[in-house]
Amino acid sequence: MAIVSAFLLPGNPLPALHPDTDPWQQLVEAYQEVGEAIRTARPDVLMIYSTQWYAVLDQLWQARAEIEGIHVDEQWHDYGDLPFRLRTDTALAADCVARANAAGIKSKGVDYDGFPIDTGTIVATGFIDPEAKIPTLIAACNLYHDFAKTEALGAVAREAVLAGDKRAVVLAVGGLSSNYIDHVIDLTDDHIAKSEDDAANRRFLAAIRNADQDGLRKAALDYAASTGTDMGMKHIAWILGTCATIQGADVKAYGPIYGAGAAVVEFRLG
Amino acid sequence: MADGKIVAGFVAPHPPHLVYSDNPPQNEPRSEGGWEPLRWAYERARKSLDELKPDVLLVHSPHWQTKVGHHFLGVPRLEGKSVDPIFPNLFRYSFGLDVDVDLAEACCEEAKVEGLTTRMMRNPRFRVDYGTITTLHMMRPQWDIPVVGISANNSPYYLTLDEGVDEMERLGVATRRAIEKSGKRAVLLCSNTFSHWHFQEEPDIPEDMSKEHPQSYEGYKWDMRMIELMRQGKLREVMRLFPEWVEAAFAEVKSGAFPWMLAAMDYPDIPAELHGYGTVIGTGNAVMEWRLDA
Ligand SMILES: [Fe+2]
Repeated sequence: MAIVSAFLLPGNPLPALHPDTDPWQQLVEAYQEVGEAIRTARPDVLMIYSTQWYAVLDQLWQARAEIEGIHVDEQWHDYGDLPFRLRTDTALAADCVARANAAGIKSKGVDYDGFPIDTGTIVATGFIDPEAKIPTLIAACNLYHDFAKTEALGAVAREAVLAGDKRAVVLAVGGLSSNYIDHVIDLTDDHIAKSEDDAANRRFLAAIRNADQDGLRKAALDYAASTGTDMGMKHIAWILGTCATIQGADVKAYGPIYGAGAAVVEFRLG
Repeated sequence: MADGKIVAGFVAPHPPHLVYSDNPPQNEPRSEGGWEPLRWAYERARKSLDELKPDVLLVHSPHWQTKVGHHFLGVPRLEGKSVDPIFPNLFRYSFGLDVDVDLAEACCEEAKVEGLTTRMMRNPRFRVDYGTITTLHMMRPQWDIPVVGISANNSPYYLTLDEGVDEMERLGVATRRAIEKSGKRAVLLCSNTFSHWHFQEEPDIPEDMSKEHPQSYEGYKWDMRMIELMRQGKLREVMRLFPEWVEAAFAEVKSGAFPWMLAAMDYPDIPAELHGYGTVIGTGNAVMEWRLDA
């Protein structure tokens, strides 16, 4: 089996920076549990799509072999620094660029010292593989790609992994409802910013539990149409495209991060 | 201390292409040039800035995005390498800038008085965004004037446009009050492109000017209409048409710097000087000046 497992993971850095804060503990524990399971499974590659890495011109793929540094988030700078280390499967990235171009999704690799790795990718790899033992394949979230095109992008990455006979874990890094609380709060009072967001998040998480490929697509599109969601839930399109055989989902944790919705979800694959 | 004043405000857009085509030593990639008329517009703006002898430059950038509150750079010296996430092939710039922390704190406090959510950015490892850096480089490549850097709170995107503009106007009023109390001569920089319709793919040679033109005729016409009103000093009319402009030209001014600057200057009815206009990957960019003090 080429795709070993697939997860929806929060990209907001607050739980990583303040793991002991009450409302985030559940998310942190679920994140740690997923990290443990992935490290035990020893995949060849992590296929990452983060809603916080924006592309505007062309589809971008990370192509630098090794990257490390200390990241400061533009919003949450006063909560601490995020050290990171990443390794890229450069051959796989190059293959994805070529395949995506052939499929009509104009693509480029980025291989630059100091390139700003997005917070979501840093948070996810920090929980899953802090020592960068597992190579990554990281695709940007192009603002002009819709849900369908992002699913097609995921399918391109899937083909490349299958062709390379690799065992991959898919990480869709992003949130649920995207409304933040717009004023300073005591972190222990964190809650979903709007009650209708909370209701929509819960409806979505309930709908995907037993949803197959078509059911997950429909649930994500209905949800994105009903309320403000992180990037129109295109990270779910990445799951659909890369996995192709969704059979359901286990919601491991759900909660607020400064008013926005976040969840740790493992997808069941057929 | 009192009698501080805003001596001028500039629209100073930040396409990194302008730094790239200028080939300054701070930027890694090399170019064959390109976008000369816009760079010459900046040359005129720099000359003007030099004459004004400001104590401080305040810049509001749409590429420091904050979802919760308006943030202000609050570390005396910030250094690093800024790589543009969209155009890493064009912009990898080693920067070092001095922050006027006193004035930043005063702006932050006054904004709080206006009822806005605010935050000082105190993390010395913070990487300054490429919008702030490009605008500052194009206006003052010597980097010898202290800076107040202000983030773009996403309010015009998650609130209605009117509510977002209202927040930016209050930020402008707060900024003016802080400057007046500081006793300093301040120049405001609005780091915004006008029409933001852009090409979806980059030419093989980015500086190949045979490929450069407005992406949208509609956007271009809107830019000309608004620039002409600014040249006539009709800023209230500009703001009346603002929502239509934002919509029709997908204008980057939506992110707030433009209403912030106009409100801080209290909508002066003096004609703006257009130093130049040009497109960059199809977007409309004007370098403009309102000189409030000779
Ligand atoms: Fe911009």
